[in-house]
Amino acid sequence: MAVRDHLRTIKYAAWLGWQMDSNWTNPYLFIAYSLVKPIAATLILVFMYLVIFSSALANPAVFSYMYIGNAFYMYVAQVLFGLVMVIYEDREHYQTLKQVYIAPISFYMYIIGRAIPKIILTTIGILITLAFGVVFLSLPIDLLTISWMLLAAAMLLGLLCICMIGIALAGIALLTAKHGSGINEGIAGAFYLFCGVVFPITFLPAWAQSIGLAIPITYWLEIVRRAVLSGSGVPNISGLEAYSNSEIFLLLLFSSLLFFVISIAIFRYADYLARKKGKLDMTTTY
Amino acid sequence: MVLAIEAQALTRVFGGKKSKEPLVALDRADLQIEEGELFGLLGPNGAGKTTLIKILATLLLPTSGSVRVLGHDVVTEAQAIRPRINMVSGGETSGYGLLTVKENLWMFSQFYGIPSVEARQRIDDLLTVFELSDKANAKVRTISTGQRQKMNVARGFVTDPDLIFLDEPTLGLDVNASFAIRNYIRQWVKHKGKTVLLTTHYMQEADDLCDRVAVIDHGRILACAEPAKLKRGLQRDVTFTIVTTPFPEAAGVGALPGVKGFVNEFVNDGTELRLVLEEESVIADVVSYITSRQAKVLSLTKTMPTLEDVFIELVGRGLQ
Amino acid sequence: MIDWRLELRAVKGRAYPRIIGAWREPSWVLFDIFLPLLGIAAFIFYYRSMGAPEVFTGFVVLGGAMTAFWLNVLWSMATQFYWEKETGNLQLYLLAPMSRMSVLAGMALGGMFFTTVRAASTFVLGFFIFGVALQVSNILGLVAVFLITLIALYGMGMMFASLYMLYGRGAYNVSSLAQEPIYLVSGFYFPVKELGFWVAAGASIVPITLGLDAMRQLLFSESSVNPFLPWTIELLINCFLAVFFILLARRSLHYMEYLGKREGRLTLRWQ
Repeated sequence: MAVRDHLRTIKYAAWLGWQMDSNWTNPYLFIAYSLVKPIAATLILVFMYLVIFSSALANPAVFSYMYIGNAFYMYVAQVLFGLVMVIYEDREHYQTLKQVYIAPISFYMYIIGRAIPKIILTTIGILITLAFGVVFLSLPIDLLTISWMLLAAAMLLGLLCICMIGIALAGIALLTAKHGSGINEGIAGAFYLFCGVVFPITFLPAWAQSIGLAIPITYWLEIVRRAVLSGSGVPNISGLEAYSNSEIFLLLLFSSLLFFVISIAIFRYADYLARKKGKLDMTTTY
Repeated sequence: MVLAIEAQALTRVFGGKKSKEPLVALDRADLQIEEGELFGLLGPNGAGKTTLIKILATLLLPTSGSVRVLGHDVVTEAQAIRPRINMVSGGETSGYGLLTVKENLWMFSQFYGIPSVEARQRIDDLLTVFELSDKANAKVRTISTGQRQKMNVARGFVTDPDLIFLDEPTLGLDVNASFAIRNYIRQWVKHKGKTVLLTTHYMQEADDLCDRVAVIDHGRILACAEPAKLKRGLQRDVTFTIVTTPFPEAAGVGALPGVKGFVNEFVNDGTELRLVLEEESVIADVVSYITSRQAKVLSLTKTMPTLEDVFIELVGRGLQ
Repeated sequence: MIDWRLELRAVKGRAYPRIIGAWREPSWVLFDIFLPLLGIAAFIFYYRSMGAPEVFTGFVVLGGAMTAFWLNVLWSMATQFYWEKETGNLQLYLLAPMSRMSVLAGMALGGMFFTTVRAASTFVLGFFIFGVALQVSNILGLVAVFLITLIALYGMGMMFASLYMLYGRGAYNVSSLAQEPIYLVSGFYFPVKELGFWVAAGASIVPITLGLDAMRQLLFSESSVNPFLPWTIELLINCFLAVFFILLARRSLHYMEYLGKREGRLTLRWQ
């Protein structure tokens, strides 16, 4: 299929996703939602930190490690959750999945398109969260010292990788009941645990560290921290300090390629099973 | 005469806030339906049929007017009405896909407090009548659309209501299934003395089944009488059926003087026009119009008025 | 005059799809029992990376277990009427003579099966895997706190269900909005008193706040818990909240249904 067709699919899927994600309420409530949700999620961890340390400046390495990791992890949670919900909602709520499925478009491109508004909204949330951290919690981010090229490259590759994992989960969602939205919690929870999001992976048992080192999210978060905190003092507690930026980036690239292949394989098999078992238009809300 | 439904000057308006144009769905509609009557409600899409049914079923409040169902006011005594009514809509997707047909029917029976033993017996009887016994233990998400609609109809009758609202109940059903359901409805009313309010787009269904029929359009009741009486009312008019070669300009027939109403449809590589004329001589003008636009008249038949003709005259157009 | 046989049958009827659904769609066993442990484990290691006392591991396990009930209330109770409206069941429920609360009670009881399994397995597995040290001081008190907290929580869920019945997608997103802030202000993972008296007091309107605080006092050594109020007071407050929310839910359901019928929104899909 021509590149132009794919881009058109992405464009209109993104438009559809934006219509659905943004038009549910008046603008003020939407703004409140965009502000409150990411900050509240972060403040849980902030208060867990403050219960132990009493001040954000007591252990800045741990604090900035946690804060940056948790902020950018929102992409993982929101995109993965969002793409699974795309399948559930299209299938059971709007009952349009089968029409989209049989349309002459790439279903991968459709899902990626649906992910774009979620990425945009999450980016807003992340920026708000980081600004909150800088203003109220002395988070040491300096716009003048951020390594923008490194950050851009990491974001591009990282988001692509996240979208591909989301596609795999979307495939699994084709086979599961709507109440199996525990899939999001579970998989996102697995990444949260193994990928050094809020604590260095060195605190995990050795076997768990091996798992974390095989997941691209680990390297992505590390390189994002280095890019954002460059010049401000990158916390040397991640367990990956021995690797240079280029090495981390290469590790991210290779692990992303591996996950890319695995995700496509999972999706294709799930897609095959869904068609074989007639699950593309099942309703499971009970 | 005991009335199952009594509506006076019933009005329902939607919207009107935030500079949106208000929509008058029902406009001072008057309706009286006796107990034991099988009453039909005909109207094009958007006429107000479903709005009327929702008000009668206590799902919607009227904007003004009064409505009593089974002797109770729908606004203030809804709780007294509900144990005695039920509703079935065409194309319903209610129930839960992973329950079986029997389980879905049993679940809904519990919402009416029917003891399980009695409910199961009723369910078995209804499944037999509607030829669904072989699907009793099939999960609802595995059955066809027609079978699902049969299940929906069974759900309506399993509670043995005194009054049932059937909103296009035979939608999506094949000929045999539709026949079975119509037969059941007819017997149910006849032997149990219950009341049915039926809406349908199938004129023949209304003609065959209904004791009386009301025609509604733009929220107003245009006529209400026995089908035979409505048809007799048309006998001063003349009805014709003309079949022509493909005739794209058929819409222009409606503008001819003396044509009270007409509907056209494309059939078998031709066009069929069904006309209601003020007098027989108008047919000459119609034929001239057709031939002047290079179409040929393949057949011309004078017909006895049907309920559809009544509908066309009252509403000015066919069912859309 | 309440027809108790009708209402009990309605509860039974509505609970049935939830229970049977759990048997027929067993994917939740993996996703709702084992995988949530991962998120809990992450918080435990986070505390350990900061050198937190071991009792905080217990706080996280308890909070993680109770999360199951909060999520069940928020998503499977509060938003359920919205989903029922979208699938066409709501109008049939409203047409039937049973009480709306019986429908919701049936949903709650039916959903409680796998919610309890999830919560119990989270607690037991968390207890064994992470070596949580318990000091149960009053088992009857603990059971009472747990049950009253659930009743009050589900009562609150019923009240929310009435809003969602009417306000569609906006209310659905409010549910999503409420999820993390409640984790924060209700002290799921740390003693709520750490947030300050007034925040804790305000958060106490959510029954799980005081329920968690009381359970911490009854499960762990008193010196490490930093309680907000004595657990007996918290139990009494939750008793009051249980009655309050159930009565409020009843009125709210009635009023919302009236509003929906007046505005014609009870059967309006895709709002």
